[in-house]
Amino acid sequence: MNRFYSFIIAMAFASFLILPGCAKKAVDERRGVTDTTVKIGQWGPQSGPAALWGAVARGSDLYFKIINEEGGIAGRKIQHFIRDDGYQPNRTKSEVKQLVEGEGVFAFVGGLGTATGMAVKQYLNDNKVPWVNPSSPSSHWTFPQSKYLFNFFPLSSTEADLLLKYAMENLKKNSFSIFYQNDDYGKLGYLAAKHILEKKGLKLAEGVSVENADTDLSSHALKLKNANADVVIMWVNPKHASIILGQCANIGYKPQWMASSTLSDMAIMYKISRGLWKDMIFANFTESPDSDSPLMKKYRAYHQKFAPNERWGVFYYAGIMFAEPMVEALKKCGKDLTVENFVKAMESIKDFQGIGPKITYGPNQRQGANSIFIAKCISDTKAQKLTGWLTSDFDVNEILKQVK
Amino acid sequence: MDIKRDYYEDIRLLGSGAKRFWFGVMMLALAVTPFLLPGHVLSDVNFIAINVIVAIGLNILVGFTGQVSLGHAGFFAIGAYATVLLMSAAQFVPFPLALLAAGLIAALFGFVLGLPSLKLEGPYLAIATLGFGMAITQIIGRFSVFGGRDGIQVPEVHYLDRLFVEYAGMTASAAKAADLYFIIIVFAVAMTIMARNIIKTRVGRAFIAIRDDDIAAQSMGVHVTLYKTLSFAVSAFFTGVAGGLYAIWLGYINPESFGFIMSVLFLAMVVVGGVGSIMGSVLGAIVISFLDLNLKQNTIVQIPVLGNVLVMFTDAVMDTNGIAYVSYIIFGLIMMLIVVFEPLGLFGFWIRIKKYWKTWPF
Amino acid sequence: MMILQPLIDGLAIGSLYALIALSMVIIYKTSEVPNFAQGEMAMLSTFFAYYLMENAGFAFPYAFLGALVFAAVVGVVFEFVFLRREKEVGILGFILITLGFERILYGIAGWKWGSEQKLFPSSFAPLPVSGSTMIHLGGVSISQIKLIIVIVAVSLIGLIFLFFKYTRVGIAMKATQQNATAARINGIRTKRIMSLTWAMSAVVGAIAGMLLVPGTNTSLDANIMLAPLLKGFAAAVLGGMNTLVGSIGGGIILGVIEKFFGFYISSEFETVVAFLIIVIILWFRPGGLFGRHYVRKV
Repeated sequence: MNRFYSFIIAMAFASFLILPGCAKKAVDERRGVTDTTVKIGQWGPQSGPAALWGAVARGSDLYFKIINEEGGIAGRKIQHFIRDDGYQPNRTKSEVKQLVEGEGVFAFVGGLGTATGMAVKQYLNDNKVPWVNPSSPSSHWTFPQSKYLFNFFPLSSTEADLLLKYAMENLKKNSFSIFYQNDDYGKLGYLAAKHILEKKGLKLAEGVSVENADTDLSSHALKLKNANADVVIMWVNPKHASIILGQCANIGYKPQWMASSTLSDMAIMYKISRGLWKDMIFANFTESPDSDSPLMKKYRAYHQKFAPNERWGVFYYAGIMFAEPMVEALKKCGKDLTVENFVKAMESIKDFQGIGPKITYGPNQRQGANSIFIAKCISDTKAQKLTGWLTSDFDVNEILKQVK
Repeated sequence: MDIKRDYYEDIRLLGSGAKRFWFGVMMLALAVTPFLLPGHVLSDVNFIAINVIVAIGLNILVGFTGQVSLGHAGFFAIGAYATVLLMSAAQFVPFPLALLAAGLIAALFGFVLGLPSLKLEGPYLAIATLGFGMAITQIIGRFSVFGGRDGIQVPEVHYLDRLFVEYAGMTASAAKAADLYFIIIVFAVAMTIMARNIIKTRVGRAFIAIRDDDIAAQSMGVHVTLYKTLSFAVSAFFTGVAGGLYAIWLGYINPESFGFIMSVLFLAMVVVGGVGSIMGSVLGAIVISFLDLNLKQNTIVQIPVLGNVLVMFTDAVMDTNGIAYVSYIIFGLIMMLIVVFEPLGLFGFWIRIKKYWKTWPF
Repeated sequence: MMILQPLIDGLAIGSLYALIALSMVIIYKTSEVPNFAQGEMAMLSTFFAYYLMENAGFAFPYAFLGALVFAAVVGVVFEFVFLRREKEVGILGFILITLGFERILYGIAGWKWGSEQKLFPSSFAPLPVSGSTMIHLGGVSISQIKLIIVIVAVSLIGLIFLFFKYTRVGIAMKATQQNATAARINGIRTKRIMSLTWAMSAVVGAIAGMLLVPGTNTSLDANIMLAPLLKGFAAAVLGGMNTLVGSIGGGIILGVIEKFFGFYISSEFETVVAFLIIVIILWFRPGGLFGRHYVRKV
């Protein structure tokens, strides 16, 4: 390569580095709100190891399109900014700061991942940016509570409580094993289940953890078989769930399986588990895909119109569910939209129900709901609802004391 | 390049007047940067400066001593956790002290990891370091002393942010970023000079001798055992300090954040920048971490022409939501092409540019 | 009989590691660098087989062969475009090029097939092999595919061993690896030999990928090969990077340690302990269990 080209390349790099710094924007007092628009931000991995959950952000996007199509809120259209952070906390931090200080968004909705969310939680609260409904289950969001953060994603301890109750009361089963993914989410489910069983004087048959990178789960399956519990409850990702079902079926272990709400995307689970998902009893945090509630019908129709290529999966329309309370609060604010008004409007939300559970926030209540319903898989498209919405009164602080 | 006539000229930090001048200009530029950039860009600069420290530390090991490491995310994690635990468990420890202590703890682990390097090399050493990196995050995740899998929130550190708000008219978040910037940049500059000095002294020459040929070095009287482990320790110290700064910058740490890919990125910074060159490490860290932060779906789509082509192509042939993955392709291509066209990395480009302008009209 | 089951499982998964190790060893023997793109090359080939079956409607055996051809092409193209340079990039540069290629292949797979889990068939229909049909021997059981994996790994390593020993191309490969200049002087087209080596390694890797997915009951996505690649690399190192026998030995030892530890003590630490044991073994045998001690020219 001759000298000239090397020079050009070097200059290109230099300008690449310098240019973004020049784009300095003034941020006014009413950040992100004009008379005709309101800016909403969201982060969610569209690539990388957790990209499977990236559908949530796209679902919220669909919902905002629907709202805009119907005329917006108090004359304002919603501008929605999705940022792909690849599930890396450092990128989330960079992008959220860019959205708040550079673009000037009014509030955040959704936001996927515990580590990614925790990297910006303090920052958002310090800068009075409302953050409504993180789309990952974590006890960090509302224990302790912070003023600008609202959440209703059911914790894995909630699921543990309700699934165990269902198994003991309705299925009359008494021996349980837990198969959980070794991170804050899975471990909370495991600890909660253990705690609940101990209080009842029962002992957990076996708790088997799986690392995120593991591919071969034969020793895990063998351990579960050895413990031979009647029921195995899972807090894992879809890949591991399908592997363990296959492995256990291969070695002839067929307990009643139960799964957390993160595995509630039945269509895909049924497919990748090669039909073993049948008879699975699983927690749900949102309506079933074929539900005929009027809201779901409406969303499905718009889905056909705006994003026909997108699969109508649970995590896609869960994005709608996470954004519903926010839109409700925006509507309550009407013309007079400021951060403080918005927070007040959020706090005044009572028994609001979209396609998720009933949600109630309050001045000292940031966890809007703790509810799931339980369903059973009949076929790849049909689920049988076993219960209505259930609410857990389990106090997660009992577990958090053990962890911390 | 000027010809150096004696040893003392070689080890002098700022040899000529011109060098002193440019050093002054650079320091000035670094000092005024936070007052020119908006807060969120400054925050990215902070992240890049942290990576500069890691890249320099890793280059001491990889570039100057010739040992491979795929486990530097482990040292980064040790530094981060040690800093946070020292600060929150022992309340009285001020942040800079905690940071240095964390660096020393990482150095101790570096010394231990250096022991296998006495016998292993090449891929064998790579596997040993890789195992180390994995083990560290597993162990941290296992014990609740370290916050377990739940991670821990990092206490805030601030010194000057009030002043920035009052006198420089910054917003609160920009002032915080500026405050952190000065902490990080002081460490980055100090450690760059430190690395440069280590390389220019007896220790550095021993490292280089080991890299070029450890048997020959030994027969010349270099204590290979000592210097190999020392190199690991020094490298780990740099990485540990950077880890502590990263924890403060990010505000929350959990074991999953320090994975294999992070170690790969560190190695990429060193090699893309230029193996065995401190200036190169600085360049490499800047470019790689800049790309890491900025190559993403919304920036790719906005590239003129190419962005539209990619979107159309994606709609026609690829997965509807797959376009975010193009960032990986571009990242990999840039990484590869730099090394393919210039094995000396960005430092090689720098040398060419310098030569070109030195003889410019001719 | 419980004690035998982890042994069998370890043997099966160890054979998979052995296949990945083998593909790395083939490259290492000729260019002295670990190829970090090996995992994604296998992943992409597996995706290609998936594509042939799902979108083009081929039966498994044809898709399998098609994917092998695809893998060979990827290997050759990579070697030709990025590695065949006048400039000497050095070992670190080489590692970085493979890492860059790894990112690119990962990006391509994600771009084309998205992030959702794909179902790769678990049976080799019309061949009578299936991942869910079990063979019972005494008290232990092994799925048909896992048995196939063991057989394929052992026979492939045997075949490649014979290939290096008796065929002209194999001997030329060995010559190139020992001294490229001397080989060229003796009339061996070393560049062509390098391309062939890459093709061979990519094919072995692709076989590993296509057996891994049904063998472990996993679904297919772009992330599946990262952990197996590192394990395969570890197995190669454990056995000795410059021996073929080492890869099967290392793979099986690694697999068995992992499964025994995972079953009897803790599945949380199975990977970490496996790596720890490798480091301890390497401390006593720095060239790997089966390799000659690493002798360097001064």
